[in-house]
Amino acid sequence: MDLLANLAHGFGVALTFNNLLFCLIGCIIGTAIGVLPGIGPVATISLLLPITFGQPATTAIIMLAGIYYGAQYGGSTTAILLNLPGEVSSVVTTLEGYKMARRGRAGAALSIAALASFFAGCVSTVLVAASGPLLTSVALSFGPADYFSLMLLGLIISAVLAQGSVVKSIGMVVFGVSLGLVGTDVQTGQQRFTFGIPELSDGVGFVSIAMGMFGIAEIILNLEKPEARTVMTGKVGSLMMTREEVRRSIPAVLRGTTVGSLLGILPGGGAALASFGSYMMERKVSKGRHEFGTGAIEGVAGPEAANNAASQTSFIPLLTLGIPANAVMALMVGALIIQGIQPGPRMVEAQPDLFWGLIASMWLGNLMLLVINLPMIGLWVKLLAIPYRHMYPAILIFCAIGVYSLSNNVFDVYQTVFFGLFGYLCSKLRLEPAPMLIGFVLGPMMEEHLRRAMLLSRGDVMVFVQRPISATMLAIGAIALIAMVLPNIRKGKDKALQE
Amino acid sequence: MKLNTKDLLSAGLFIAFAVVGLWLNQDHNLGTARRMGPGYMPMLTFWLLIGLGSFVLVSGLFNGPDPLTKWSSAEIGFLIAGGVVGVAAGMIAARIPGFPSAGWNALGIGLFVGCLVAAIPPGWRALFLPSAAFTLFGLVLEPLGFLVAITVTVICAALADKEHLERPLGVVGLIAFLCALCWGIFIRYLDIRVPLWPQL
Repeated sequence: MDLLANLAHGFGVALTFNNLLFCLIGCIIGTAIGVLPGIGPVATISLLLPITFGQPATTAIIMLAGIYYGAQYGGSTTAILLNLPGEVSSVVTTLEGYKMARRGRAGAALSIAALASFFAGCVSTVLVAASGPLLTSVALSFGPADYFSLMLLGLIISAVLAQGSVVKSIGMVVFGVSLGLVGTDVQTGQQRFTFGIPELSDGVGFVSIAMGMFGIAEIILNLEKPEARTVMTGKVGSLMMTREEVRRSIPAVLRGTTVGSLLGILPGGGAALASFGSYMMERKVSKGRHEFGTGAIEGVAGPEAANNAASQTSFIPLLTLGIPANAVMALMVGALIIQGIQPGPRMVEAQPDLFWGLIASMWLGNLMLLVINLPMIGLWVKLLAIPYRHMYPAILIFCAIGVYSLSNNVFDVYQTVFFGLFGYLCSKLRLEPAPMLIGFVLGPMMEEHLRRAMLLSRGDVMVFVQRPISATMLAIGAIALIAMVLPNIRKGKDKALQE
Repeated sequence: MKLNTKDLLSAGLFIAFAVVGLWLNQDHNLGTARRMGPGYMPMLTFWLLIGLGSFVLVSGLFNGPDPLTKWSSAEIGFLIAGGVVGVAAGMIAARIPGFPSAGWNALGIGLFVGCLVAAIPPGWRALFLPSAAFTLFGLVLEPLGFLVAITVTVICAALADKEHLERPLGVVGLIAFLCALCWGIFIRYLDIRVPLWPQL
């Protein structure tokens, strides 16, 4: 079997001391920021991007991935114990999880959250491994026109699924694409929109945008609202679940894993959307649906399985097509490009260490997280004693040093301040930063594919509808856009995202 | 009329950005659809942005009301003052030979002064003090070194939180902790090339 041989190779890579160490570091950091409200995976990964540049690409990606799925484990802890979601993706866990804790079943809720995450992590790891080579072989037959349409579809869906107004989100995508065009034109070498600033000839700094709009803007917004910290009063209790709880959780975990895996692959999807989707589903179909609102274990098991599954399957479009499904994946593209690796269908062939090593490390990471989380839960809860006023100067300093060390240039520092202020403005105007970041990453690639496609078709726009793959993508994109115009569906989406 | 202020301002932002972009794009050769020049894709995206902006503008006239947070007159005044003083400080710094005009320092000085002025009303402190602190780091790092930069940045950022002012010892502890931690990670382990101590 090819797959087994490849996986064995992957474990060979992931089990080296260095990679194992950084997988563990990633998981620990992920759990920590998952527990802590006020700092999420996007901010953390952009903060740590500069630190990873000195490492081999595989090690860097293994660590950054660990932060993302580790945050899904950590987020549930505070959601259950304190009714305080550490991450967006664990907001729904507070609904049933905290109620369970109030009933004295905190231990059982924590156990099922960790075990469901672990199970979903294992399944989605296999999914990534199996679908990678498959999708890659499909993607290799894509022409430039197909690629352009695929990226367009990705951008449309990421805007459609974003919170708030779809038109504004599409506006942010286009804004991001335009910003991505700043710098030297690849084909002619002409400087575009650089104002003669040499620092801009490589384009606007990707890390500056991510850190400014997600790191600094977050700090400002957190400082503006008064700090709400509750102290845990109840006891965790026994971690053991009753037979009845286990029996009820199993179907919920299976459904959550399925929903999560699917929603993770979707552009614009990811952990947060997956946990919402799974919660909605459990409330409708699970056997314990009449108990919802009083601490139904299905409402913890399903969403927790879903968010972890999604955080891993969202790597599929990135690793096979080079298309980031959400803001975290956009950061991964940035990390890969700075490492000199062009994400795309050739990556599985050209970088087997990276692809299979990452997959193996995901499984190992999930195992580590199970150990890190369950027995040491008390330790993580203690982290909450750190007040935000001690955290934010540290985050600022880390951002500042990180962004400076990119090219030892203070211009990057000032650029980051600018994007911090801009990010604050955007949040006040309800403009979503995530679609902009994805647009920024995909912009230059889209231009490249558009130019090539039009050259091959001798300037005929019809090429995008004549090629079946491209036509299908455009049709799906059009349907998604039209669906959002219909008032019923839009209301359903708003409701789903608000709850 | 049910004006949606947030949407109207967003639309204004999109359209203004696109119009400036289109104006700048005149320098670039458009080429043809078959052989696109450097200006072709920017032209497409800017026109698309104008279209989307207009859509948001028109719908923003009806789908409100969604007003912005109320600003006091002091907040508006100091925001404008911060902008004006910042630009002025930057332009003056650029004319002073030596440190203020070297490299990107004039930009940094302008940004820092502007943020500080804007941070005078209490409502803006959460926004502009961390931004000022971040800028200060860039200004101080090369001439005064890593440790001084961390110290002044933390102090400036700490001013944004009232509780820090009541317990200054906590800030001292934080500075000591961060200096040690960052030295360990960035200097010792990652070996980034920055001066540790002031460069005299």
